Amino acid sequence: MPQVHFRSHDIHIEVEVGTSLLDAARRGRVRLEAPCNGAGTCGKCKVRLDEEARRAAHVVDSRKLSDDDRRDGWALLCTTLVEADIALDLPAGAEHGLRILEHGKQIDLPLEPWIGKRFRPERNVTDILSGGDALAEEPGDTTTRAYGVAVDIGSTTLVASLIDLGTGSHVGAASALNPQARHAQDVLSRIKLGSDAQGLALLNAEVIAEINRLITTLAVEAGIPRRRIYEAVLAGNTCMLHLAARVDPEPLGRYPYTPTLNGDVHYSAKALGLIISPFGLVYFPPVVSGFVGADITAGMLAASLADEKGVTLFVDIGTNGEMVLARDGRLQATSTAAGPAFEGMNIACGIRAARGAIERVSLEGGEVTVKTIDDAPPAGLCGSGLLDAVAELAVHGVIEPSGRFTKNRGALPSGLQACFGERDGKPAFHLTPDIYLSQGDIRQVQLAKGAVRAGIDVLLRRNGLTAAQVDRALIAGSFGYHLTVRSLIDIGLFPPEFDGKVTYVGNTSRTGAEALLTHAPSREALARLVRSVEAVELANDDAFTKVFVAAMAFPPPLRPALEEVA
Amino acid sequence: MPAEEQKRLYEQLATAVFELDEQLAKLLAQEVLDRGYDAWQAVERGLLEGVNRAGKLFDEEEYFVPELLIAADAMYAGLAILRPHIKTHHTGFNRRVVIGVVQGDTHDIGKNLVRIMLEVAGFEVHDLGRDVPPQKFVDTAIAVKADLIALSTLMTTTMERMGEVVSILEAEKVRNRFKVIVGGSPLSQQFSDRIGADGYAPKAAQAVELAKRLVGLSNAA
Repeated sequence: MPQVHFRSHDIHIEVEVGTSLLDAARRGRVRLEAPCNGAGTCGKCKVRLDEEARRAAHVVDSRKLSDDDRRDGWALLCTTLVEADIALDLPAGAEHGLRILEHGKQIDLPLEPWIGKRFRPERNVTDILSGGDALAEEPGDTTTRAYGVAVDIGSTTLVASLIDLGTGSHVGAASALNPQARHAQDVLSRIKLGSDAQGLALLNAEVIAEINRLITTLAVEAGIPRRRIYEAVLAGNTCMLHLAARVDPEPLGRYPYTPTLNGDVHYSAKALGLIISPFGLVYFPPVVSGFVGADITAGMLAASLADEKGVTLFVDIGTNGEMVLARDGRLQATSTAAGPAFEGMNIACGIRAARGAIERVSLEGGEVTVKTIDDAPPAGLCGSGLLDAVAELAVHGVIEPSGRFTKNRGALPSGLQACFGERDGKPAFHLTPDIYLSQGDIRQVQLAKGAVRAGIDVLLRRNGLTAAQVDRALIAGSFGYHLTVRSLIDIGLFPPEFDGKVTYVGNTSRTGAEALLTHAPSREALARLVRSVEAVELANDDAFTKVFVAAMAFPPPLRPALEEVA
Repeated sequence: MPAEEQKRLYEQLATAVFELDEQLAKLLAQEVLDRGYDAWQAVERGLLEGVNRAGKLFDEEEYFVPELLIAADAMYAGLAILRPHIKTHHTGFNRRVVIGVVQGDTHDIGKNLVRIMLEVAGFEVHDLGRDVPPQKFVDTAIAVKADLIALSTLMTTTMERMGEVVSILEAEKVRNRFKVIVGGSPLSQQFSDRIGADGYAPKAAQAVELAKRLVGLSNAA
């Protein structure tokens, strides 16, 4: 069998002829980002092959490669098939740390955990209580020692907090990347992979192992034995819950996207493979639908959506934009497929939000200014930088409201005119000499922001509301946290009427999970609330296509002088 | 100079569609009738020509989804006025296509773009809508004597349904009667090859070129 030598990682591995380099790398346990899971459609596993390597492989061409790429020897790992012994270097930076949002809006609730303890001096034992019922007993008086963990299972990151159930205080917090992302980047790919028994076992084992690692870290740092942790509340989107509970996610991948696991259930931690107390429990919060999950319902609780007077819009901007409209305690929820542009995917110079990613762009004064994460040399454009950049292009008239690059470049300040270049014969706008935005990139942003805005507009329309009647807009989640209200409005993702009404509530999936951990009555209250939430399926709304089409436009530039010059 | 005027009016109609002015397209379509000009020519040289131009710009990334859909709206608005007055049966050529979004998926904007462009190219389009079971594609294709089956999906999770359509065609021993083309953002040429489809196109305009080529209306590009 041919041998593959990954020089950069000093790994030799034997594979059958016809194995893709991506599979070879995985068998060699190399961490690589392959969002499309080897379908050849995302172009993120690009690698440069030398002459010799190309002779030892069958390179299948991909439309994700530009003519320049081909000339320079670039190929995709997933579409390059091994034929003979081959040596290559893998792209650097596969293991970059990601920016992770841990904190979020908290709700003040009295301490009333699901897990309780009761010492019985006559027998010198302590009963462990679950919802008031005795679960087990421990020798001696352990009433002051009871802990729980709240975990937000994001599709990209996991965030866990350790909480003292006797005092309600935070003992520690830890985060990690969701290891499932190595096998399948987006939620749909994970549903697909998890739809057969082997894939489900893999994704389940990966996430449970990572949660166990987080719990171990927290316990060790706090000097607490893991057996004193009696409960874990796991919040996350509906797919993440299915995978964590090892429930087949297949129905989530097809209309009408009906969940098998509806949440508001307790499982035995042992049965799920979580290493806490042998009597420990796992609680999954309720879900609304296949695409409005426990991360959002936990957020409903953390943001007190049911108690707000007037009109509140709660939005989690991401690959799936989930949103909840609350009107005097009545809630409607929906989700919209924004696509991967916000994660820097399908974008020519897109990267994830890691060191060196451009996160802020300004075209003020006719010059391009960029700010990168950690102020490192620019390596690419992450989602928030992409949104910021496109907002600035729209404001300064570099792109027209339709999204097309202006035909009237002469009217732009000379500094901006100089940023235009060409890639594969098409215009591109350079933010740095190496990092640019193509017309296709702007189209991707239009699809993504148009989808979220269309969701907002449809929810408002169905309720006969206008944007001006919204009293407050809450931005939840990690991606939204890094966006400015200014660029959200400039790009048209939010209507201008939201100006001055926006609050960032952060990771409310985690804070909601914490509230469910420390205040058991909230579980029943939330389950009741969720049963009353109306799930809106945008695809079934007659106006959706029209609203979506309108939402793809950008607000007109704030430089009317441009038209006058023309 | 009625011939000149006629030509100018058709050109104005094309421009109205291309410039996304539905109201103007309707006014001009009415004017065609008021002046007693030929309705079919107004459709072919005005409305369809307008969408065709929009489609070309779409292909060049100058126009995007909104422009193409609005141009199509303008075309359909004009067509509604002109259609009752088309005297003879003009279908250009006699190629039929069955199109739809595969079962489990309800995202149909991409499919609608391809449908519009196939119609403009002169195909007789049977649109089955979205969430369409594999068997229905086959049954409809047989019933309408289609030349082509066009399958669309936006979701990774529903891609495999396309392969099922091909399998059913084979099981019913009618595979060679139809060309099958596939499209949608999670797909690739390799996927198309793997499921045994006849072609894949990454974009709407290319799908039309592919369709024409497969039914023998143009030479290989």
